Amino acid sequence: MNAKASLGIDPEELASCVACGLCLPHCPTFRVTGEEWASPRGRISAMRQIQDQGAAIDQAFLSSMDSCVQCRGCEPACPSGVPFGSMMEATQAALARERRIDWRRWGFRVLGYRRLLNLLSRVLAVVQRLRLVPSKRLGLPKIPLRQDRLRASGDDVWLFTGCVMDAWQRSTHAAVKRVVESAGVGVALPGSGAACCGALSLHAGLEDHARALAARTMGALAGSAPILVDSSGCGAVLKEYGMLVGTAEAEEFSERVMDVHEWLATRLDMLPPAGEQDQEATVAVHDPCHLRHVQRAHQSVAEVLARYATAVALDDDGLCCGAGGAYAAMQPELAASIRERKLEAIGRSGADIVASANPGCTIHLANAGVTVLHPLEIVDEMLGEILDQAADDDR
Amino acid sequence: MKLLKASRRDSLLRDLRRVLPPDRVRVAPLERSIMGRDASIFEGGQAGPVCFPISTEEVQGCVDAARRHGRAVVPRGAGTGLAGGAVPLEEPVVVVTTKMNRLLSVDADQAVAWVQPGMINLDLSRALAPYGLHFAPDPSSQQVCSLGGNVGTNAGGPHCLALGVTSAHVLAVEVVLMSGEAVVLGDPDGCAPGLDLRGAYVGSEGMLGITTAIAVRLTPNPPAVQTLLLAFDSVDEAAQTVSAVIADGIVPAAIEMMDKNIIWAVENFVGAGFPLDAAAVVIVEVDGLPGGVAAEADRVAELALERGGRVRRAADDHERALIWKGRKSAFGAIAQIKPNYYLHDTVVPRTRLAEVMSRVYEIVEEHDLQVMNVFHAGDGNLHPLLLYDRREPGTLERVHAAGSAIIEASLAVGGVLSGEHGIGIEKRDFMPLMFSEADLDAQARLRRAFDPDEMANPGKVLPTGASCADVNTLGKIPEGVWG
Repeated sequence: MNAKASLGIDPEELASCVACGLCLPHCPTFRVTGEEWASPRGRISAMRQIQDQGAAIDQAFLSSMDSCVQCRGCEPACPSGVPFGSMMEATQAALARERRIDWRRWGFRVLGYRRLLNLLSRVLAVVQRLRLVPSKRLGLPKIPLRQDRLRASGDDVWLFTGCVMDAWQRSTHAAVKRVVESAGVGVALPGSGAACCGALSLHAGLEDHARALAARTMGALAGSAPILVDSSGCGAVLKEYGMLVGTAEAEEFSERVMDVHEWLATRLDMLPPAGEQDQEATVAVHDPCHLRHVQRAHQSVAEVLARYATAVALDDDGLCCGAGGAYAAMQPELAASIRERKLEAIGRSGADIVASANPGCTIHLANAGVTVLHPLEIVDEMLGEILDQAADDDR
Repeated sequence: MKLLKASRRDSLLRDLRRVLPPDRVRVAPLERSIMGRDASIFEGGQAGPVCFPISTEEVQGCVDAARRHGRAVVPRGAGTGLAGGAVPLEEPVVVVTTKMNRLLSVDADQAVAWVQPGMINLDLSRALAPYGLHFAPDPSSQQVCSLGGNVGTNAGGPHCLALGVTSAHVLAVEVVLMSGEAVVLGDPDGCAPGLDLRGAYVGSEGMLGITTAIAVRLTPNPPAVQTLLLAFDSVDEAAQTVSAVIADGIVPAAIEMMDKNIIWAVENFVGAGFPLDAAAVVIVEVDGLPGGVAAEADRVAELALERGGRVRRAADDHERALIWKGRKSAFGAIAQIKPNYYLHDTVVPRTRLAEVMSRVYEIVEEHDLQVMNVFHAGDGNLHPLLLYDRREPGTLERVHAAGSAIIEASLAVGGVLSGEHGIGIEKRDFMPLMFSEADLDAQARLRRAFDPDEMANPGKVLPTGASCADVNTLGKIPEGVWG
């Protein structure tokens, strides 16, 4: 491997860390290990050793990089605005070019093929029921055997449905769609063209694959309608297509993307009012990293939820839960230790239900026995009760 | 020869791994080189085996193994030191305390807690919130720095103006000496007989032993707090207001100053509403009983207005927190302007503040550099940050020259070399400007009373030749350490 500039990180970005260490407590892997090479500052130092000083890529370097959840909690913590996520993506891409990434990550290619993914999911669901796979250890949810088809109801907004979430948690999409429709809006669905946003591939360093998925997704979500996203990991990368693809068209596309809560928070008066039983339920709001640290739109979840329930913030400064897309499957031990801290914060909140706007977090936390719902599943349930109540009153 | 050295290293490794499990003794070149730096200017330290003990006994084991192999020991906490105190020289055994991060016990009635050295400063205050108590020293790095590191440098912080620095809040320390013995210095009840060895230990920058537990004094949370943000059109007016507040007999909880460039950088990060058109801002915080707080805040505002200042009061806790977040992020925000900085930490008499500040600006101009000032104005503790890009040839020489001139200017008015960051490697060679040979010899003898062979964090604080015996083998700072 070419020693100089081998990681392809922008030299200005790489030089921009003053090593103050203010990121350390915001890094989940530093928090649970206390080890510098599992911290953003240590990882940047490691990247500099390779790129600036020509050190060889060895096992220690690979573990330092692969142990990163890519939660980007270090970014809002950094007073100098060091773009850690982009440096880590460049590093992962360099490692992928050198074929130095975990072989399992090549499996992300399946995500672009909806029929294949659905077929494999169906098989997995059967195998799960025969108890032939250790689901929890693999970080898998209980995959449904059958799912109802979603049907478009108009063309005011797009609802991005994605890959794994559509294959495993389509009922969440259905609930989100009902809530959006209750605001008097017709929802369009992209179909199999927008099969996957490419986030997992991008984080694994498979940049070309991510770009190919981005191109397909942009094609399938044409026009000028807002693109609503109910998975914050997908939303974050859709908002960064401008950077990933690098065209004016991609920039325009990204500007249309909104987290569904962000969209609803400015239209609360269009939603039905809360019923009498309002705010009985206490819900702890888990901030998914890519909603809080990347999209920086996490406040909108509490704003929407607060209309129908008592929303409690967790007291852990938005530290990651350890799910990290495929991270929980790739690094099960670290992911579990990181989750321990989150479970403690959930315990301190006193809430029985946790709301998570990201499917990965939902699966990871549910595997530890927590009751986790998408925030709009909770709203959907409340709206259902309110409408039933109204119907009863009419009678 | 090389082989011999390697086999010696391996037997050290074997001995360390008898004490700690293999995954808590790291030796890969990358893992060691990452430990070669802290938050200071130095980048080229060389670590030997890096150990992560979780108990006092394990620290003792690491020290014993190092001693048997004639290897020095460097303790390290979160690595946020600003003077290179944790930078390892000549491949010592590095003992990292981050995994020793538990709160051992709290006695709320006596306002004392025992903590492990790797506990993060802010985590302690957060854990104490249910008791209405906190740990008073609050360095800017408090969200990450370890309490062991605070003890090592006798750390200060904005709120040390009224309450005193770390030493005033440490009642006792458990220390592993280089003999391998664990001792307790001081007494948690605050009545240790004999010489105050605790006092000698706090601020000894890892040269007397390794801290393995700390009994900290806890401070009740104040019933009322007001934070004022004062903006001025000149640094001079700001400095005069600081002197006027102190002369008026008010002892605020904190008085902090920031000048124009740093205001821009932190505002860009936090968006706290710092005035971008001001030449300097002063943050004044007063606390205590509500009546007294209101009266003091009014008086501070009056003094500022008389000197041409503009006054804003933080409306609520959220605004207050944002102002402090801005102040405490200042060093880290520097890379928005330049990728490197060299930070000084001199303390000058408060009455000479305005004068020294203008001298600092002159010096920086003479050396064609940029400076930012963000500092504890209330106790005259300057933090001029000299900005540079190490990739530009010749800059570092100018930075060093300007740094020396700033130190000389501070000492000339009766100031001291370092307020709170410590001496480490960075200020080591300036020590003779401050201390006579006899002073330095006394310090070296105190150190050897604890550590006769000078195996604990060698090469720090005391310059070569500081001691008559001159056993210090680390005369010169090794090549490459200055980056």
